Amino acid sequence: MLHLLDVRCKFLMMCLVSMSMLSAQVFACFFYFLVLLFFFKKTGLNIFATLNSIKYFILFLFFIFAARALALKGDSLFSFYGLSVTKQGLNDGFLVAFRFFLVMLTGLLFSSTTKPSSVKSAVQWFLKPVPFVPEKRVAVMISLSLSFMPVILKQAKEVSEAQKARCGDLQKNPIKRIIRLVLPLLKKTFLSADYLVLAMESRCYSDDRTDPEFTPSGKEFFFFAGSVVLSLSLVCL
Amino acid sequence: MTKNIIDINAICHTFADGYIGLKNISVSISKGEFIILAGKNGSGKTTFLRHLNGLLLPDSGVIFVKGLDVSKHLVQTRKTVGMVFQDADTQIVGDTVFDEVAFGLENLKVKRAEINKKVTLILEDLNLFHLKDRSPSTLSGGEKRKLAIAGILVMDPEVIVFDEPFSNLDYPGTIQVLSTIIDLNRSGHTIIIATHDVETVICEATRIIMMEDGQIKKDGTPDCIVKHLESFGVRQPCSSKFGMGLQPWLS
Repeated sequence: MLHLLDVRCKFLMMCLVSMSMLSAQVFACFFYFLVLLFFFKKTGLNIFATLNSIKYFILFLFFIFAARALALKGDSLFSFYGLSVTKQGLNDGFLVAFRFFLVMLTGLLFSSTTKPSSVKSAVQWFLKPVPFVPEKRVAVMISLSLSFMPVILKQAKEVSEAQKARCGDLQKNPIKRIIRLVLPLLKKTFLSADYLVLAMESRCYSDDRTDPEFTPSGKEFFFFAGSVVLSLSLVCL
Repeated sequence: MTKNIIDINAICHTFADGYIGLKNISVSISKGEFIILAGKNGSGKTTFLRHLNGLLLPDSGVIFVKGLDVSKHLVQTRKTVGMVFQDADTQIVGDTVFDEVAFGLENLKVKRAEINKKVTLILEDLNLFHLKDRSPSTLSGGEKRKLAIAGILVMDPEVIVFDEPFSNLDYPGTIQVLSTIIDLNRSGHTIIIATHDVETVICEATRIIMMEDGQIKKDGTPDCIVKHLESFGVRQPCSSKFGMGLQPWLS
C-alpha cells in the first residue's frame, strides 16, 4: 500500500515523523518501532535483511551510545581508567541511538517503497516555489547521479582488478594505493561525463522540460492524517 | 536539395589542439539508404557522425539536413538525425528504462500523456516493455544498446546514426541489435553505421564510404568497395576473401 502512495505525501510523512522523533521518549520510540515493524511486514520487507544492510550504521550508533554513556555527568554506575559510566549517560545514549535508528528505518522504508525517479520528481515539485533554485536542473542532476553511480562503481572495480592483475595489491602503502585507484578512475569518470553531455545534447537537452507526473492513489489524505496523529502521539507520549 | 535527406558541402573540422578531424568532405545521402562508414581508428568516422547531429559544427563548409542548415537549425536537425553512441552506459540518462526513453520527448516539452503513449509503443515495438521499470544498469549489453536505440526512435528521426553499434556485444547481443537495425531500415529509416568491422552489416548495406585521415577515400556499393577494404585497414569479410561473395551475417 505504501508503494502506491503519492511520493510527495510519503516525503511529507517521513519528514513529519522524523522531526517528531527529536522529542520522542523511550516509550514513544518503542511504540513507533512497532508501527514500523507493522509496515515492514505489510510491504514484504525482511527486517533482518534490512538490519544486516545497515550493520555499519548500527556500529556507528553503538559509538554514539558509548560516547553519551561516558560523557554525560550523573550518578556513576562504575568507572575505569578515570572514565565513569553514568546512569543518565546510559539512558540518554540509548534514547539518542534509538531515535537515530528509527529515523534510519523510516528512511529505508521510504526508499524501498519509492522509485528513485519519483524521489527526483518530488524534489523538483518541492523546490518549484523556492526562488533562485533551478528545480528542473536539480532534478536532472539527481537523476544523473543515480544512474551514474553504478557506472562509476563498475569502472572502479575494473581499475582495481586491472591493478591487481599486475600485482598492484603488493603495494602496502594505503595512500599510494588510493592514488593509483583514484587518478585513473577520475579520468574515466570525466571522460564518461563528457560523453554523457554529448548524448544529452544529441537528444535536445533543455532546462525547459515536461513536468513530472504524479499518480495519487486516493488514500493520501488518510495516510497523512494518520502520520499527523502519530507524530503528535510520539511527542506527547 | 530536397531529394537528398543530407547534403554535405566541403566541410572541414580542426580540433582545438590543432588535430585535423575532417578535410574537405562532400557527400550526399538519400532517404532510405543503408550506409557503412568504414575506416581504421582515428580515420575521422566519429567526428563525421557528430557533424550530422550538430554535436560538432564545421569550421568551413555547410551541412544541410532536409534542406536546413544544421548550424542554424540544431533542434530540428537533432529531431531528424538521431545518434546512438558507442558506449551505451554513458548515453543512458534515466533511472528506469521508461524514463530513459522518455528523456528526449521531455526535452521537447511534449505533453505527458503523449510521452506515455509514445514510449509504451516504442518499448513494445522493440520488445523492451517488460523491462520498463528496471534500472538500465541491470540490463544486458544487447538490451542496453536496444534501449539507446529506443531513446532515439521515440523522437521520430528519419536518419539514425550508429557509432560502432556492435562493440563489446556478445553474439546474441549483436544479433538483437543487428535485427533491430535491419528492421529500422526496412521501415524507411536512413541508417548510417560507423564501424571498422564491416562483416556483420555489409550484406545489408547499399553503400560503403571509406575514410582515412579525415577524408573520404572511396564511396560506392559494397560489391565495388569490398576488395579495397584491407588497403584502408579494414578487414575484408571471410566469405568475400574465399571467393563466396557477400554472405548475410544473419541466417
